[in-house]
Amino acid sequence: MYNELDLNNINRRDFFSTLGVGGLIAMFPWLQSCTKEKNEAIRGEKVRIGMIGTGSRGMYHLNNLLHIPQAEVVALCDNYEPHLQEAAALYPEAKQYDNYCKLLEDKNIQAVMVVTPLNEHEQMAMDALSAGKHVFCEKSMALTLAGCKKIHDTYKQHNQVLYIGQQRLFDPKYVKAMEMIHSGLIGSITGMKAYWYRNNDWRRPVPSPELERQINWRLYREHSAGLVTELAAHQLQVGDWALGERPESVTGFGDIVYWKDGREVYDNISLIYRYPSGIKMSYESVISNKFLGLEELILGDKGTMELEKGKYYFEEAQPAPGIMQLINDIEHSVFDNMAFAGPSWVPETASISKGYPVLENMHVTSGESSTGAVGDGSIELLTAFCNSAIVNEKNDRLVEEAYYSSVYALLGLQAMDEKRIITFPEELTI
Amino acid sequence: MKDIIITVKQQKTELKWLLACFGLAILLNIVSIIIYQTSWTEIFTQILWELLFTLAFYALSFIIRFLYKRIKK
Repeated sequence: MYNELDLNNINRRDFFSTLGVGGLIAMFPWLQSCTKEKNEAIRGEKVRIGMIGTGSRGMYHLNNLLHIPQAEVVALCDNYEPHLQEAAALYPEAKQYDNYCKLLEDKNIQAVMVVTPLNEHEQMAMDALSAGKHVFCEKSMALTLAGCKKIHDTYKQHNQVLYIGQQRLFDPKYVKAMEMIHSGLIGSITGMKAYWYRNNDWRRPVPSPELERQINWRLYREHSAGLVTELAAHQLQVGDWALGERPESVTGFGDIVYWKDGREVYDNISLIYRYPSGIKMSYESVISNKFLGLEELILGDKGTMELEKGKYYFEEAQPAPGIMQLINDIEHSVFDNMAFAGPSWVPETASISKGYPVLENMHVTSGESSTGAVGDGSIELLTAFCNSAIVNEKNDRLVEEAYYSSVYALLGLQAMDEKRIITFPEELTI
Repeated sequence: MKDIIITVKQQKTELKWLLACFGLAILLNIVSIIIYQTSWTEIFTQILWELLFTLAFYALSFIIRFLYKRIKK
């Protein structure tokens, strides 16, 4: 079943026996709308959705919505005809629009999904909320800091639901890993490291030159902030989730190192976010080498959590059984030569431990896809949105988390552009 | 070829030696658990090591007893 938080298709008994649904929701309140109980309570009800933006990511969501019984896609909107027709082939009954304002006038539509270039999020999300629609907006929230704040303020002024596409918050392996981190499994958090490496130019084929900016909008500053808003915004949110703090400052460097093809956004970035406790989260993204892939690492004094792979590692290897240690010690005392130096000179190479899985039957993504991956929490996120829209249950914590991750991304961009340390502006606190 | 006859008394004696060796192997495991502060469940989970030590101790005891008897004769 796709229509509930499938935490334990996985390992349901172990997970809930140690935590319980109530405990899970108290710890991660944004999960309130995707529990089994909530699904049963609204069984048979549907929310009528209008999709604004039917490009690659829009199609990814439209395909996922086919698996969610409480979702009914009744309208499609795109100003690029080939994309609109592709979506119409999937939902032939849905009305078609080339202007989102017309779609918002449709009283039959209860909720809209904004899956458009980043620069369009702000106006579309605010217009949709003002039109009385529930809104799912792709991350990042907006292209500017002021835009993020405006969307948040508009959300607070209305009674509609707002969801932002932060699917990691709904990915079962992340939820379980975070529960383990908060329970002290890896000890005190002392550092965090996130990265996303790819080896592709991030370009889409363009049928004619005048469509370059419309289709490859991620590469141009008037539409996007590049790697920080399209990739980092997902991963920066993980730091707050693990640590329970918000960073107070950021610095970093960004450059166009490899893809010098007329793009305006960096293809090589390196950022450091500093938290009030002194802990740092480093972030790197390079799109001309994919050796390391993508990952978020939470480093504790007792262990390390590797979130994308859903694995954890202990600093000290689990000791061998006593009897084997005894044999080993006897063997060493009989056969070993006398030591001539201590271990201090031994280089500390990376751990070769294979680690332990957070959950069984996990979906692990490579990060190479530019549109989305199977089993990354997106379906759970969409299900939660539909459920929230049906019962009109706002999800403030989700909006807050999404707001801050978008703001961190944009502050990172500012730090790179201005080549200085940016302190988190007080006026952006919500 | 001569038949080897193991009397009931000899069988009982060997069985007692085997049990004593098994007890000694368990004791060795308990001592290891205490020294290295590992889990008490190892009394059961390390049963293969205990059986291996039992066989080793029994073989050792058999050789010593055999040599002792030879020397005594």
